[in-house]
Amino acid sequence: MSGTSPARLQVLANFCAAAAESMGYTLMRTAHSTFVKETEDFSCQVLSAEGLTVASPVTMGATWYTGLDYSRVIKRFDYRDGDICVVSDPYSGFVATHAPDLHMWRPVFHEGRLICFVGNHIHNTDVGGAVPASLSRTLTEVHQEGLRIPPMRLMRDGRLNEDLMALIETNVRLPEQNHGDLLAQIACTEVGVRKMQEIIARFGPDGFRQGLDGLLDYAEAQSRAIIRDLPDGEHFFADYADEDQTGGYPVRICVTLRIKGDEMEVDYTGSDPQLVSSLNMPTGGYPRHSLAMVGVVYALACLDPTVMLNFGLVRPVRAILPEGSVVNPVKPAAVGMRSLLSNLAQTAVIGAFARIVPDRMPASPGNGLSILNVRTSTRDGRPVMASIGPVGGGAGGGPGADGAEGCGANMSFLKNTPVEINEAEVPIDILRYGLVTDSGGPGRYRGGSALEMEFRLHAPQSMVTARNRDRSRFAAWGLAGGKAGAHSTFTRNPDGPSPEELGSIDIVPCEPGDVIRLRGPGAGGYGDPLERPLDEVLADIRRGFVTAEHARRHYGVALDAAGAVDTAATAGAQAEIRRTRAAETGYCGNRIAYETVWTTARYDALTRILAALPVNWRYFIKHAIFREIGETPAPDPSDAGDVAAAFARLRLRYPDLPEVVL
Amino acid sequence: MSYRVGVDIGGSFTDFAFLDEKTGEIRSLKVFSRPDDPGAEVTRGIARAGELYGITPAEISYFTHGTTVGINTVIQRKGLKLALFATEGFRDVLELERLKIPDMYNLLSKRPEPLIPRDMVWGIPGRLNAQGTETAPLDEAALRSAARAARDAGAEGVVIGFLHAWRNPAHEDTAARIVAEETGLPVFPSSGTWPIIREYERTITAVIGAYVQPRVAHYLTRLQAALKAVGVTPEPRLTKSNGGLMTAEEGKSRCVDMILSGTASGVIGAAYVAGMCGIGNCLSLDIGGTSADVAVITDGKPAFGTGEQIGDFRIFIPSVSVSSIGEGGGSIAWVDRQGVLRVGPESAGSTPGPACYGKGGERPTITDAFVTLGLVGHSGLGYDTVTVDADRARAAIAPLADAIGQGVEETAEAIIEIAVSSMFAGVSGLISRFGIDPRDYSMLAFGGAGPMMACFLARELHMREVVVPTTPGVLSALGGLIADMKNDFVQTIYADLEPSLLPDLSRRFAGMETQALHWLHDEQGHKGTHILQYSAEMRYRGQSFEIETPVTPDMLSGDGAALAAAFHAEHARLYGHADDTAAIQIVALRLVVSGPTGKPVLPDLPETDAIAEPIRHVPIRIDGAERDIGLYRRADLVPGHRFDGPAVVLQDDSTTVVPPGFHVRVDRFANLRITEGA
Repeated sequence: MSGTSPARLQVLANFCAAAAESMGYTLMRTAHSTFVKETEDFSCQVLSAEGLTVASPVTMGATWYTGLDYSRVIKRFDYRDGDICVVSDPYSGFVATHAPDLHMWRPVFHEGRLICFVGNHIHNTDVGGAVPASLSRTLTEVHQEGLRIPPMRLMRDGRLNEDLMALIETNVRLPEQNHGDLLAQIACTEVGVRKMQEIIARFGPDGFRQGLDGLLDYAEAQSRAIIRDLPDGEHFFADYADEDQTGGYPVRICVTLRIKGDEMEVDYTGSDPQLVSSLNMPTGGYPRHSLAMVGVVYALACLDPTVMLNFGLVRPVRAILPEGSVVNPVKPAAVGMRSLLSNLAQTAVIGAFARIVPDRMPASPGNGLSILNVRTSTRDGRPVMASIGPVGGGAGGGPGADGAEGCGANMSFLKNTPVEINEAEVPIDILRYGLVTDSGGPGRYRGGSALEMEFRLHAPQSMVTARNRDRSRFAAWGLAGGKAGAHSTFTRNPDGPSPEELGSIDIVPCEPGDVIRLRGPGAGGYGDPLERPLDEVLADIRRGFVTAEHARRHYGVALDAAGAVDTAATAGAQAEIRRTRAAETGYCGNRIAYETVWTTARYDALTRILAALPVNWRYFIKHAIFREIGETPAPDPSDAGDVAAAFARLRLRYPDLPEVVL
Repeated sequence: MSYRVGVDIGGSFTDFAFLDEKTGEIRSLKVFSRPDDPGAEVTRGIARAGELYGITPAEISYFTHGTTVGINTVIQRKGLKLALFATEGFRDVLELERLKIPDMYNLLSKRPEPLIPRDMVWGIPGRLNAQGTETAPLDEAALRSAARAARDAGAEGVVIGFLHAWRNPAHEDTAARIVAEETGLPVFPSSGTWPIIREYERTITAVIGAYVQPRVAHYLTRLQAALKAVGVTPEPRLTKSNGGLMTAEEGKSRCVDMILSGTASGVIGAAYVAGMCGIGNCLSLDIGGTSADVAVITDGKPAFGTGEQIGDFRIFIPSVSVSSIGEGGGSIAWVDRQGVLRVGPESAGSTPGPACYGKGGERPTITDAFVTLGLVGHSGLGYDTVTVDADRARAAIAPLADAIGQGVEETAEAIIEIAVSSMFAGVSGLISRFGIDPRDYSMLAFGGAGPMMACFLARELHMREVVVPTTPGVLSALGGLIADMKNDFVQTIYADLEPSLLPDLSRRFAGMETQALHWLHDEQGHKGTHILQYSAEMRYRGQSFEIETPVTPDMLSGDGAALAAAFHAEHARLYGHADDTAAIQIVALRLVVSGPTGKPVLPDLPETDAIAEPIRHVPIRIDGAERDIGLYRRADLVPGHRFDGPAVVLQDDSTTVVPPGFHVRVDRFANLRITEGA
């Protein structure tokens, strides 16, 4: 522990936390856009002189930026008191992760010496580009995703860069809102600078800088202590997104955790090639990029809830992010909707940790949380566009309790919109909003139930969008004998004569009278369902979380006609389950079937082939090889000859392809 | 003689304040609370008043009290077994709350168990739309069968929370009648409790009100009987979460209004004492064994909020806003795996309490740190219910000192510094949320540990001064004494502000006014004048939060431009910007009626020129140095006395620690006024 004494480190930590919270409240209080005020899609930080996040608010804002590292953009400038710099280009320095996020940093001086920085970001509702709100899965290049600001000065010596302001206001759809939000961000840095100067005066500039190092060292020491307790070794986990484009093939993100002593490598090698849609995660390959570290921070905080949330936590961790993959796309790949795969990367990391310490990690959260948007019109023809809320699934079960219902784990920060407000604002009838029975993965500790929303539209040319649709094919996995959660479904007219399953489609044109029902994915269960105590199964039945039929099938609990436990039948049913069941993988049937086709060996061969190709060929060849392989299970799980043969055939068709030695 | 009596019934102690109506003099006393036998503490206190001050029950002309029975019922989950009847398809309103999970970095974090489990929730067919028009009739057969099922499942009361009851209570009213008819159980419709838009907020408010109802009603009945038995004749009054009063009789049915009874009246008392000292802006700081509670008072008025925390839940009735900001005197210090000294969140509370109490507590607390430094423990604590053992305090801190390689005293100072910095962090967030500057504020310290820590915290916050009232423990009782009869009314509008809307708004305000005056004069029997405060909750269309804007009825004439201007101005005041061109939505109209009660005129005492004499000097350690300091007895201090820190002031219910560089002056009302610098 460097510098500050162990007796005073907590004092500095409290002061820095207070500064960060004050910055957050200032931003929330003065910002204009609802993204900041309602969704809390913002962050603010106290940064070391190098640009490492030392403190951030823990009760508000987004959860992704604990380990944010500004150093790559900070070192490009010289600083004077009253300077502010900004960046929103996801490819310049890899601080911003999509164009709507405007990041800002400002130096803090004490008696002429630069001591540290403060920073923040907010998600602007619109930054121009091809579509309103700047985000769409269908965009193919970052150039379509709105104005991108490279690292530059917004303020020099306290004077605003009016040229930059004019440039921003010319390029966005709601210039007043962006302007107001920018002023709020500036106000936030002002509060930050003032608070930090007070703290610096209190501790003295040298004591303060040592103290900041001490806080980073402290979190690092906590992190190393957690890692040291984990057995050395290599642990692999993969998770899948349903499709890489509408009607496309799955996207795999995989993680190999390598624990050695008190250090850890998070190797994303094997993750899919970058996509021609906007789901890519722009990390620049930086080994501690915040997007690559979110899952790691969640896992560390789960293993030790007392960890101090700052960059020090990820110091003992190194990510490997292969270039040209979804976790490190090459410009000009679109990245606007990076949240879907970022969330998947989190569950993949959580899954890999669960391979090491299954007794201390939960099963998969539902993930695949969609934000539902409706475009329709009132009876007199006035157009209405509104977000009607997030619909996803619960938190994974275990290791000591059932998962949170309806949302949770890595989706904990979202608030819903009340049904009454939605109906007052948007001309739709909401028919149902609540938890889905039988959706939580069975287990000793049940996975959290999925959320569902069902509503009827009344106007022609209406449109429903569900951003980040996922988990309708690959369900949330169970752990330690727990089973997978229910799939997500998206259905038009579910109770009509001809219900239509919409799968992972995320834009649905609707007619008057159409009913749309979105059911999120249930979370995975934890532990053997047969070990769930009878009274808990009965309480679940009584409370309608599971039906009697589901309880009989998965928990072996049988009720008689009066609804009381049939002890003999229960003993029989449980014995029958024990006798006939296969070893529980925690995966849903779709995944098990898929992995008989796309075995580890085939994926390894595919990964090696794609890695050897120029980036622009990879996505195309992935699709071509998937078409060649089709639904044919691998004859031998260890043999990838079919993949090599498929590639050989493609080389005949496309002579530009290089030879790849497998 | 004639006395007005204010009483605050807390978990451990009950405080009494007796105001002599003629002289304005206030006398106070304290007895143990009797949660096992409510009313007994009041009987005991009144008897004590006879013994100590010669006050007889017949002389009591006015009786108010505040109580924690409401909030404790929720915290201890000892309320009514309830059923909830919700709209079919929407029965998860309590399970889901507003979706967000409490600790967002913790993968295992969950919402608290709902007060009504899901098997006691029934979805009832029948639907209104957002205009309040019926789109599906209430299914009476289903309702009756659910009512019977609820009763058979052991329900002792039924809350009804149907969608859009904020707009039209017809379905809830019909259902309430039918359920009562079918089961004979008490029924609580959400629209009758607090008819706001947003189904979760309206439902949880009704649920909390219903949940505490029988205990509160039982308790009030016992209290009424006890008072009657000892010969106190005036109808007892009860302090409300909004800082006002209602009759105890009304409290039996409007329990939802009194959940924060004691807390709110403490803030009212603090505001009153501050006002008396000529202080308009202050933070009230109440530190007990487990937490520090802070309220913001600006221009003499406490900040109000909707969504105040009640145990695991929030309640959406307008309430005096009080925030819990961290540690209390019983918070435990420890050294973590990385060898870093930490304080809290674990607390030794009052049982077993700090190590120095010698009541079985072994782990070092903030109070032990103060005792180790010689700052606390020179007399008994809590009206001599506790004797302090400094050796136990040192022994508890010693292992921590070893672990971090420092002396016991240095470690004790570090513990205090950490605790203060943690409170600083809490207050700092609060003042940023309210957008105020602590340099413009004084701090009013009370509670057992408030005066012990206040100067340290005020120093960090650069606050103007610290005020320690004469009897810090009696502020809540005093707050009840000076509170006005007060009630809130709301009508949810949820419409765009257009000239065509204004006549309807005027009509609604007129209706609320009639209701308000009926409540005050007829139901509460208030004889004097009344004050009506009108406000409108407004927002820009598309915003998801509304701002309460004070208005006057004449703003509703003409084209509504005055109403709009009032909102723009309020928005600019709070957020620093306004948008004159944006459409405005009116979410609700609010009316607050109050009936002022007579205020005590506290005796204005002559100031002495004499020098304050310490009872003795004691060795202590503070700000890193050891020295001998003066120990003063509060009872010896009279107006005009002045002395410098470092010093310690002893009194029955708390110890005031004055650090070096602070100056103490005793003002005309015998409050300690402590400022930094000369």
